[in-house]
Amino acid sequence: MTPVLEARSLAKTYESRGTKVSGLRTVDLVVERGEFVAVMGPSGCGKSTLLNLLAGLDRPSAGEVWLAGQRIDTLSETALARLRRRKVGFVFQFFNLVPSLTAAENVELPLLLSGQRRRKARRSARELLGELGLADQHAAAPAHLSGGQQQRVAVARALANRPDIVLADEPTGNLDSVAARQVLGLLRRARDQGQTLLLVSHDASVAAAADRVITMRDGLIASESQLDVGRQVSGILAIDEPT
Amino acid sequence: MTRLLFRLAFAGMRTRLVACVLTLAVAGGAVSTIVLTLEVGASGQDPWRQTFDAANGAHVLAFAPSRSDARAVARIPGVTEHGEPTPVATATLRRDSDDDPVQLAGLVSPTVVNQPIVTEGAEPGPTGIMLERSLADALGIDVGTTVEIVANGRSTDLPVLGTAVLPSQSRYPRSTPGLAWVAPAMLERIEPDRSRWRWIEAVRLDDPTQAAAFTQQVAAERSPSADPAEALFFVTWQDQRDEALREAQPIQLILTMFTLLLLVVGFTVVGILVGARVTDQRREIAVLKAAGLTPRQIGVVFAIESLALGAGAAILGFGLGVLLAPQLAEPTAGTMVVAPTVVANPWHLLVAAGVVIPILSVSAFAAARRSTRSTRQALTDAGAAPPSNRLTRLVGRSHLPVSAEVGLKQLLARGRRPLLLGGAIALTGASVVVALSLQATLDAQPSGQASDIPDELPLLVYSLDAVLLVITTTTVVAVAYIMVRERVRDFGVLKAVGLTPRQLTTVLLSGYAVIAAAASLLSVPAGVGLYLALAEMASGTTEDAVVAPWRSLALVPVATLLVVMAASSIPARAAARIPVADALRYE
Repeated sequence: MTPVLEARSLAKTYESRGTKVSGLRTVDLVVERGEFVAVMGPSGCGKSTLLNLLAGLDRPSAGEVWLAGQRIDTLSETALARLRRRKVGFVFQFFNLVPSLTAAENVELPLLLSGQRRRKARRSARELLGELGLADQHAAAPAHLSGGQQQRVAVARALANRPDIVLADEPTGNLDSVAARQVLGLLRRARDQGQTLLLVSHDASVAAAADRVITMRDGLIASESQLDVGRQVSGILAIDEPT
Repeated sequence: MTRLLFRLAFAGMRTRLVACVLTLAVAGGAVSTIVLTLEVGASGQDPWRQTFDAANGAHVLAFAPSRSDARAVARIPGVTEHGEPTPVATATLRRDSDDDPVQLAGLVSPTVVNQPIVTEGAEPGPTGIMLERSLADALGIDVGTTVEIVANGRSTDLPVLGTAVLPSQSRYPRSTPGLAWVAPAMLERIEPDRSRWRWIEAVRLDDPTQAAAFTQQVAAERSPSADPAEALFFVTWQDQRDEALREAQPIQLILTMFTLLLLVVGFTVVGILVGARVTDQRREIAVLKAAGLTPRQIGVVFAIESLALGAGAAILGFGLGVLLAPQLAEPTAGTMVVAPTVVANPWHLLVAAGVVIPILSVSAFAAARRSTRSTRQALTDAGAAPPSNRLTRLVGRSHLPVSAEVGLKQLLARGRRPLLLGGAIALTGASVVVALSLQATLDAQPSGQASDIPDELPLLVYSLDAVLLVITTTTVVAVAYIMVRERVRDFGVLKAVGLTPRQLTTVLLSGYAVIAAAASLLSVPAGVGLYLALAEMASGTTEDAVVAPWRSLALVPVATLLVVMAASSIPARAAARIPVADALRYE
């Protein structure tokens, strides 16, 4: 079966005032459909760079990125945008909701962009927010929501189009422990429903929810380990349902 | 503390070069229009005084029904010098099919007081005619040509032997009828009916400041006549001067209008720029507040910067105004012996600076205080107003493309800024409507008929329109760049969610399209109203004012929309090119 996401000899070099800095050095990675992969590592090891390259948010200096069987690192900006709206969902550390739109409108955005009719998109967005425990907050401005609520809206937006893969960059990094557990619970539930997840975190307890943990160091994959799903569910992580 | 506030005010000015240059341009423009308004009137005063001296001008001109009445004025105590009364009769100057009324004066040689100063050719002699210079210029009559003078049904051809100016005669055609001189014998020949003559006695007084009192004394000594033909009229030297300098009035009126427009636009631009700067420097301001600076003190920091820019603008604007004033006062030169001069009255600088600097500083102070009164969190969310108003809901229910909908919602979330920008665009459009209507009024005059609107006026209006247009367009570009800078992260998110570069351009442009459309539609009625108000102020009636044809007026909204779209498309394209990863990292 074709992997959902594949990186082949992926590298990224940044240039700052004439000095070249290596952000990522020859990374090979395959993510299978339905997998929950966590990328760990200290700050500056290249986790976010890898995520940006895999999502087509940044251009690699070398190597290839394949998403659902299509090479994406050579696509134009427009083609990449069209591809992202259908196949990729994002969750950011700082939520990154559009402040001038309501919670529901933020969730509707990818649906409308992918051509869904407005009424249907509105209904889907409200259903999704209801599932995530935000039914009463659909008309609220992001600024009026708590951090945990904002991140749940961001998760709803990422999942709205049922993309091939959801990429999350430190999704709990800016949340308290209760909100972090709620968000992680949502991601885990999505994975249980067959959603592929790639999550970047430096928090071991977050990574413990994943099927596979990749550890990065100095722009390279240092180690890779498969986790026992049963152990996670029964022990380390007690995942709360959203309230 | 004061030193710290000053240091904070000037720190980083170089990084805000566009904002500083814009503020300088707007404030400098406003100062120069105020200075021009004051200097245009003043720059003709010295030339008029020189003309008056050269002509041995009359402190009082008495228009009498008979020679004896005129002579009687010269005998009143206080008169130090007078000449022979000058006979005048009304005639018609015929050119092709055009007739122009003219006052023919019998030139009594030698004229002692109020003597015409020959500017070209010679005095009329026994068989010729000498025309007042502005009359000759307006009708396009050269020295050496022959003109036909008609009076009492009789026509006489006379060679034009010269042109002259007189301090008591202001520019034709604003002052009608025009003036021409012939020998007394020729006047007798052209208009033999002496009952149609009037007589002018020009006198000089021992105390010129008592000219008005002198005329009252003469009028009191004479029994009033019910017949206007028998009445005695006076013109004092102050009346002559004011009439001659009134030439600058339409120019002063236009300049005053543009001063007001520039001040409003300046207030708007500074408000927008300061508000944007507060948003841009929210972290720095939050740190300053945390360090103990009150919102008032932060407001003072911004006011100091505007004060400094205003002071610089005052000097620049004053220099520009002083240099341009003599050029704009050119129409007055038609009746004087020398061209208008540079006045550079320091009081004019003080008046202009006294108007412009406080407006800039208050605008900056108010915008800064409004923006810094909020908490640190609110500062972080600056500009992201909760999308809960009725308009936003209306946009949500519309069936616009998603990118246009997002753009409009982002615009509505900006609160006052779109309103201020729309106001500036509407005012600029209105000033263009004024220029078009002024041109239409000139065009509506029958061909060959001289206009009493100074030739320089349409050019002046178009130039000031251009200045306003440049300022407004630059403001649109600057505000669009500011918005892009404030929203880089949002744009990154929108691209990450799936907006294409073209859709992102639409997000930004749709907001400006709506502002421009609303403002440009408003600019047409506003401009027509402004023009009619100006016409009413200038001539006391709107009867002669012609509003620009609807075809021209219809072009104003279209052109405004195109200019705003072109101006905002540059930053919009730049926004669309920002790499997503960089945008998401942007703070």
